[in-house]
Amino acid sequence: MEEYVGELWHKLVTRVADKQHADAAVSLNEISKTAAIYFRALGGDAGLNLSAAPPTRHGARRRWMQRLATSGERVELSWRDGETLRLPERIALFSERGLNRDLYLWLVALSAAKINDDLPWIIRNQTATLTTLERFPGLLPRYQQLVEAMLALRPAPADLPKEEAAQESAIRQALQQPGSIHVLPPSKKPFHPVPLWTHPTPPVSAPSKVSASDGAPERDESDNSNTAKSRRKHAAERTDMPDGKDGFLMLFRAESLFSWTEYIKVNRPQDEEDDLESAAQAAEDMDSMTVARDNETSAAKLRFDLDLPPAGEDDAPLDEGISLPEWDYKKQIMQPDYCRLQELVTQQAGHCELPTQLRRTAKRLRSQFQALAPTRTWLKGQQDGEEIDLDAWVRQEADLLSGTHPDNRGVYRAQVNQQRDLACLLLADLSLSTDAYASDHARVIDVIRDSLFLFSEALSATGDRFAMYGFSSLKRGNVRFNRLKSFDERYDSAARGRIAAIKPGYYTRMGAAIRHATTLLAAQPQRQRLLLLLTDGKPNDVDRYEGRYGIEDTRMALHEARQQGLRPFCVTIDSEANEYLPHLFGTGGFAVIKKPEDLPKELPLLYAQMTR
Amino acid sequence: MENLPFYQPHGSEIELFERAWRNRLPLLIKGPTGCGKTRFVAHMAAKLGLPLHTVACHDDLTAADLVGRHLIVDGQTEWSDGPLTRAVREGGICYLDEVVEARKDTTVVLHPLADDRRILPIDRTGEQLAAPPSFMLVVSYNPGYQNFLKGMKPSTRQRFISLAFDFPPAEQEEAILIGETSIDAMSAKRLVSIANAFRALRDHDLEEVASTRLLVYAATLMKDGCDPTIACRAALVETLTDDPETAVALREVIDATFGR
Ligand SMILES: Nc1ncnc2c1ncn2[C@@H]1O[C@H](COP(=O)(O)OP(=O)(O)O)[C@@H](O)[C@H]1O
Ligand SMILES: [Mg+2]
Repeated sequence: MEEYVGELWHKLVTRVADKQHADAAVSLNEISKTAAIYFRALGGDAGLNLSAAPPTRHGARRRWMQRLATSGERVELSWRDGETLRLPERIALFSERGLNRDLYLWLVALSAAKINDDLPWIIRNQTATLTTLERFPGLLPRYQQLVEAMLALRPAPADLPKEEAAQESAIRQALQQPGSIHVLPPSKKPFHPVPLWTHPTPPVSAPSKVSASDGAPERDESDNSNTAKSRRKHAAERTDMPDGKDGFLMLFRAESLFSWTEYIKVNRPQDEEDDLESAAQAAEDMDSMTVARDNETSAAKLRFDLDLPPAGEDDAPLDEGISLPEWDYKKQIMQPDYCRLQELVTQQAGHCELPTQLRRTAKRLRSQFQALAPTRTWLKGQQDGEEIDLDAWVRQEADLLSGTHPDNRGVYRAQVNQQRDLACLLLADLSLSTDAYASDHARVIDVIRDSLFLFSEALSATGDRFAMYGFSSLKRGNVRFNRLKSFDERYDSAARGRIAAIKPGYYTRMGAAIRHATTLLAAQPQRQRLLLLLTDGKPNDVDRYEGRYGIEDTRMALHEARQQGLRPFCVTIDSEANEYLPHLFGTGGFAVIKKPEDLPKELPLLYAQMTR
Repeated sequence: MENLPFYQPHGSEIELFERAWRNRLPLLIKGPTGCGKTRFVAHMAAKLGLPLHTVACHDDLTAADLVGRHLIVDGQTEWSDGPLTRAVREGGICYLDEVVEARKDTTVVLHPLADDRRILPIDRTGEQLAAPPSFMLVVSYNPGYQNFLKGMKPSTRQRFISLAFDFPPAEQEEAILIGETSIDAMSAKRLVSIANAFRALRDHDLEEVASTRLLVYAATLMKDGCDPTIACRAALVETLTDDPETAVALREVIDATFGR
């Protein structure tokens, strides 16, 4: 018996291996943008990210996968959870490239169908297939082609022992006549994977060993029990992270530096920790907090977080703070007074002039902005001007003729800079991630600093009213809002001193910062009000403010800003921004700067474009 | 009377329009481009038997363009009414399409007409017209059109009752396509299904969404014998995006609907 099983495995593995067609392979990278749009068009949840499925090691399928993996081949299946749609990183199942591509699109279509996830796997997939084909009848011929090609790759039931044969026949029939199979016949052997369907037991839905009784967010658990979250995603989020090949390895490394209890403790927010805390307390907690953060990112970051002095000491809180609500998308409720925000002014800043290396660019920007930014309009009926105002002239003649006394209003048209009725608040992300290197010479924070300088130079040339703030956070009790220049302050050497003194620290609780910025900006009398967000990555904080929770809260905050008549716009240097910014800002509501070092020059130009 | 322009109602807007008209309230219709605002006003004007004066607003539109001006004809001056004045004199409907495109100082001339005074002072002639009961002011704009420096002055906006239009539910939109082009029911259904798939991309991947107008275009091409895929690409995909990858995804949606 043992021997027989071994032989069967071998057959399966080689069969799959044989059937991989490298030259016809289609990779997720090639079609990810198309696939994401296709997914949303077909009704998929626009809040989901799209990412490559990590190889599964789970339950009954685990052995099978490992066997496959040892042969150098992997079968990756697709699934979706609350945050991400996962697709195989590469499909090379068929010899025809077109079919491999069709399989991708089929998986996307299938995942977009709204099906009850609790249905048994075999029912769920048949139902999804039927729903999809009904809504998109044009897919039927392609589906049939895929099934046909797939069946040719599967073991023939006749070659299998009885139980497995029954199972295989059921799967075949379910593929050919979706809806006709109601139960999967039992078999002790795992069945051959069905790449046309979604994953039978996606890792995230696995019951977790970490108890959820203390209200710990579920994503913590899934991250601990497996590497469900794409590692490549992490790498992109934190540019300073080594290209870790194995998530478990990272956990292990972090763990060897700090005791397991510490790790568990910080990673499972408890009720008391969830309470609002004083800023001082939070600053004390800083070290352990960063540990938790780094457990899921990289060991290399650890070093660097801990070296940093607690930023709190240099900043004087201006008052006891402001309570702000936060949106819980899972419960669909606004949690009142959930965050505490402190407006801070750095104590360490002196006065300073514009850094020398920026002076030339600043000079050019100033002259560009003087000439370019204010709207130029034609005024009619002027005493003097570049062109004749025919209307006015006719009117004057007519008045003369008809005997009504002419009002000497001038018959020229003149072009002038009209007073702009515009206020802009710039909100810069000062979280710790900005300590990463943006290029060989500069960190993100340096790029942001230069951007703030040049932006101020340009805006003072236009005469538009503007304010600048930086923000970061350390859990909901300590959202830090650094005043660099308020609307009422002048852009002078003191303001420049504060800009020069910005430094990275903590995390990115975007929603709260946006809500407060909205209050400040909405109080401005100008009719056009622009809320400009400058950032390097997603919203996140050490508590549950991560992933979709953070995104949805930010989205809600932006929605509130729009309702107040503000226009939010985001400028980012995050190359992955296309995955989540459209959901937050809409197309046309954000700009991604490809080379971070270009940000200082690009930002003023973007502003000019937007307000011309 | 039976020659009304075809209009498929979305909800109770016909009744609301009639009430507004009877009670002399000005009306603002907002909604995405091509969702039937203009058609609705044309239909209502015909239904109520009122003359309709439409002005497409743009940023060079002056108050004189609306109210009127003196012209010189054969050495004599002659006052010429603008569309607004004409509508007031005739007791008809004046419809200002895309009113946010007009400069704020231009729309100020609407103020005395749009509140309970219902008067139109004409500075140039010293006349002051009182609008007859049947006169109605209707303006429309497209709130989705994001131009940071454009928007409606609250003082103008607060003089209107507002009606929000959006693209109609599937069956109604199918009825519009059939009513406008006599296309077969199955094709209409598929076109609307494509449009709704594209509309799910609003604010996310597409700045503009497929309008009913574009669907009417696609249906017209198909009715003329054009292959559905080609018709949809020309009327929808290429009109809505210049981004190659987005276009590929949109084409896939069309293929998923009509087959390939
Ligand atoms: N409810 C409707 N009933 C009939 N036709 C409609 C309707 N909605 C849209 N249409 C069609 O769409 C086209 C564009 O509509 P239109 O009224 O010009 O849009 P808008 O003024 O909102 O930009 C019309 O010419 C008509 O063919
Ligand atoms: Mg950050």
